[in-house]
Amino acid sequence: MTAAGWCVLLFDSVSQVLLAEKVLKQAALGHKVIPVPRQISSDCGVCIRFDPALRDRVVEALAGKVEVREICVV
Amino acid sequence: MKTEIDARGKACPEPVILAKKALETHDVVVITVSDEAAMQNVRRLAEGLGCSVTVERRGAEATLSISRQAGAGRGAVECCTGELKPSGPMVVVVASDVMGRGDDELGRVLMRSFLHTLTEASEKPDVIIFFNTGVRLAVNGSDVLADIAALSGAGTKILVCGTCLGFFELKDQLGAGVISNMYDISEAMLGAGKLVQV
Repeated sequence: MTAAGWCVLLFDSVSQVLLAEKVLKQAALGHKVIPVPRQISSDCGVCIRFDPALRDRVVEALAGKVEVREICVV
Repeated sequence: MKTEIDARGKACPEPVILAKKALETHDVVVITVSDEAAMQNVRRLAEGLGCSVTVERRGAEATLSISRQAGAGRGAVECCTGELKPSGPMVVVVASDVMGRGDDELGRVLMRSFLHTLTEASEKPDVIIFFNTGVRLAVNGSDVLADIAALSGAGTKILVCGTCLGFFELKDQLGAGVISNMYDISEAMLGAGKLVQV
């Protein structure tokens, strides 16, 4: 974990989370599927957490492949 | 809002249930009980809910004044049977590599999510038992291996069913925890103060 904490990718559905995970795995970008943090939402959804240092590469990898609802810093 | 309850002569757990119900709707509850056990149990309930408690004794009777503090939870305690906190270890049983029945892909995501939250829980399980397809979570290449290893590092005992590892031909692939047998597994389950099956 870096000083800036973590970034999380929010999606509209679990299927999109799984699709994004596949893309990030292929691109060898470190990440973890976690429940959406309480401070962001009370939904029992899942999201993808990653190191903010990877932000540009993550955004680039997902561009045109998976629709990201939001990227939050936690 | 304040309310007063006369719980003298009532057997445990009734005073505790009355106090708990009253605290769900009142900020100050004054309850009188007629024996030491009831007093202790009501006090534990109130303190467990984050309330402040003052006790005034008159012989065997006691009057407890319970005040709800700002931010305290409302009645979120387990049902009382005289003993509020289980005394044995907390055991989590992972009987499958998916969480819940229905869709397996969803179940795998839920399981990963669940094990992640365990690593962040303030009260971690004392023991986690993996059996049947649950053992696949504790072997090399598993998405949750790092979480299981972190729990193990934090003091949680990880028991992985050896019969199951053998059945799936994964015995040489164990990535976290110890290979266990049905004696240890049943002993841990039967001796649990709280048992959670996923």
